[in-house]
Amino acid sequence: MKKVDPTFTTVKKTVCPFCSFGCDLGVVFNDFGIKGVEYIKEGSSKGRLCPRGSAAALYLNHSKRLSMPMKDGKVLEWSKLTKDLKKILDNPKNVAVTFDRNLTIEEYESIISFCDKTGIKNIASTYFEPERFLKKFLNKPFSLDEIENAKMIIVLGDLFNQAPIISKALINWKLRDRENRLVVIDTINSHTAGFASDFLKCKVGTEPFLLFSLAQENIGNIDIPAITGIPGSKITEISKSYKQAKNGLILVSLPFAHTYDPLLLTQGLAKLNTFSGKKVVPLVEFAGFEGNQYFGSIVNLVKKKKIKHLINFGELFPFYYPQVLKNLKALNIYSTSTIKYNECTTIPAALNLEKEGTILTNFGKKRLGGNIKSSSGAKTISEILSLLQEVSGKVKRLNVPEFKIDINERVKKLVEKCASPKKKKVFKLIGEKIAYNFLGFFEQEILKLNPHDAKKLGIKQNDIISIKSKHGSVDLAAKLTKDVENGIVSIPAETPEVKGLFDFEIDNNIVNFIPTEVEIWRKG
Amino acid sequence: MAKRIVLDLDLCCGCRSCEAACKAAHKGEACIRHGDIVGEAYLPLACKHCKDPLCLAACPVDAIKRDEETGLVIRSSLICIGCKSCAYACPFGVIDAPLIRHVSQKCNLCNDREDGPRCVAACSSGALQFLRDEDIEKHEIGRRMVSKNAFFRRNV
Repeated sequence: MKKVDPTFTTVKKTVCPFCSFGCDLGVVFNDFGIKGVEYIKEGSSKGRLCPRGSAAALYLNHSKRLSMPMKDGKVLEWSKLTKDLKKILDNPKNVAVTFDRNLTIEEYESIISFCDKTGIKNIASTYFEPERFLKKFLNKPFSLDEIENAKMIIVLGDLFNQAPIISKALINWKLRDRENRLVVIDTINSHTAGFASDFLKCKVGTEPFLLFSLAQENIGNIDIPAITGIPGSKITEISKSYKQAKNGLILVSLPFAHTYDPLLLTQGLAKLNTFSGKKVVPLVEFAGFEGNQYFGSIVNLVKKKKIKHLINFGELFPFYYPQVLKNLKALNIYSTSTIKYNECTTIPAALNLEKEGTILTNFGKKRLGGNIKSSSGAKTISEILSLLQEVSGKVKRLNVPEFKIDINERVKKLVEKCASPKKKKVFKLIGEKIAYNFLGFFEQEILKLNPHDAKKLGIKQNDIISIKSKHGSVDLAAKLTKDVENGIVSIPAETPEVKGLFDFEIDNNIVNFIPTEVEIWRKG
Repeated sequence: MAKRIVLDLDLCCGCRSCEAACKAAHKGEACIRHGDIVGEAYLPLACKHCKDPLCLAACPVDAIKRDEETGLVIRSSLICIGCKSCAYACPFGVIDAPLIRHVSQKCNLCNDREDGPRCVAACSSGALQFLRDEDIEKHEIGRRMVSKNAFFRRNV
């Protein structure tokens, strides 16, 4: 009989699976099982982890973890699932394949090989906005040392909630030299804005105008100070300083539903990049791969009834949005997943922590070394594919067609969209990223509301309020704060219920969630 | 040599990495938590490991002991009867967690980990530090005013 040693621990070094940073961490085991995570100081994030990374080991045995294939809330045998999938593969024209995060490069290649062998032609990444467009700036690996070497940094959005592991590097950089200048552009007052030398608190959706102005780019007869709320002299001064700064960076971490036109925003970033010669670093959740078309094309094909079945690999976040799912009603969706979800047939997949392979991260390619045997019953993508079809051989990376845009036309449209709501009691709802808001680990759903607006509506701190958009309504607690301006309300967009409130547009076949008009009132 | 967890309010960015790390290490219940102070401040709160701990004095079964050498105030889960006397006695309200397995939850400075508390290791902004008593004075904790609206001053 094996002796149990309570002091014995072993650490397996691997990479955090939850976002595109891919921070190095160690999973700690003892004789009783998984004990927790260890912080690796020599890792790319220098030993720091965000709340999700710190809780990564808990995820392995989480009660929400999917352990068996499930359909309509009932367990499905692996053999029945295989039979069903093989049946739909008899007519590959009716089938689309999509993929999301939590995939290795090797798994991506086996999915493409699988599509090739089975004859599936419709393949798309489920990149949603603004991540899809920012991908073009991911071509060079990022290092935290780049922050150390900068003299001026422009941050678009709330960096500390989107990527908390950067906060120490940024604060140290600011403390080290008082000459170092941090400029933050955002619609609401965030943690990151608190540390800024200059906080450009612009109006909702107007970030692209600011970027074009900073790049000293002419975008027609637009009154930039009036539309953005930022004085022209300030913009000019920052623009000059940024161009002259010895080293600089633009860190982009725009939260969910913050912008109307991510394509224009990306153009603005590209112009600022060319103007200043300084790097753009997108801090996105998913540094993934491409299909041969955009997700919006799949949605259109479903509407035209040309696709009846969809198999999604990786996480199932794209199907987390009720308003998107409405457009996919006619579709029979199979998706690999790590968590339980009843809206489609789910197949338990291993987390990146439980795999070996190579992944793409902000810090470049990384090797996963975990290979922790899943206790949940989940299978790797390769194991799932091998149930259906033998996959092997080298494959070519797929690419989607690029497109050109008419900047002036888009600028005009954006001016209209950024205008305040016409009705008095209507607010603009924007999404927020909250670093610790995941898997119900810290339950705290709140709506941020300006005290002036709250007074008008008779709402007090922590009152339960209803928030209603044309897609649905949610009840939650009110947090009165001057961080948001009059007429704007903000919400952590993490759960399907909250995400379900937002409008979305399909622009050039790419799905984009936008600031949404909502009504709010005190409940009871 | 007594060491303490010190929070630099000026640097805290409110990401709650500390709480997640603690929660993950203590069966889903954090000993460090973020508390709302009169609707204005929102801070990580943890056991101060007091020199003369009231929780120790209040414990009816002597489950809480103080190590004079390290300054660590530790609760034995074998002896604890889950009466919550310590939670009521604590002037900082840091032992008010719901009972897990019928015992109270209290910070032990991760004394099973060589490199010190996990909350400090996890702290993404460097706001939490694990310092010796005599080194605390040397650090410019909270005096730099690096942030115009640091976490605790945000709505003041």
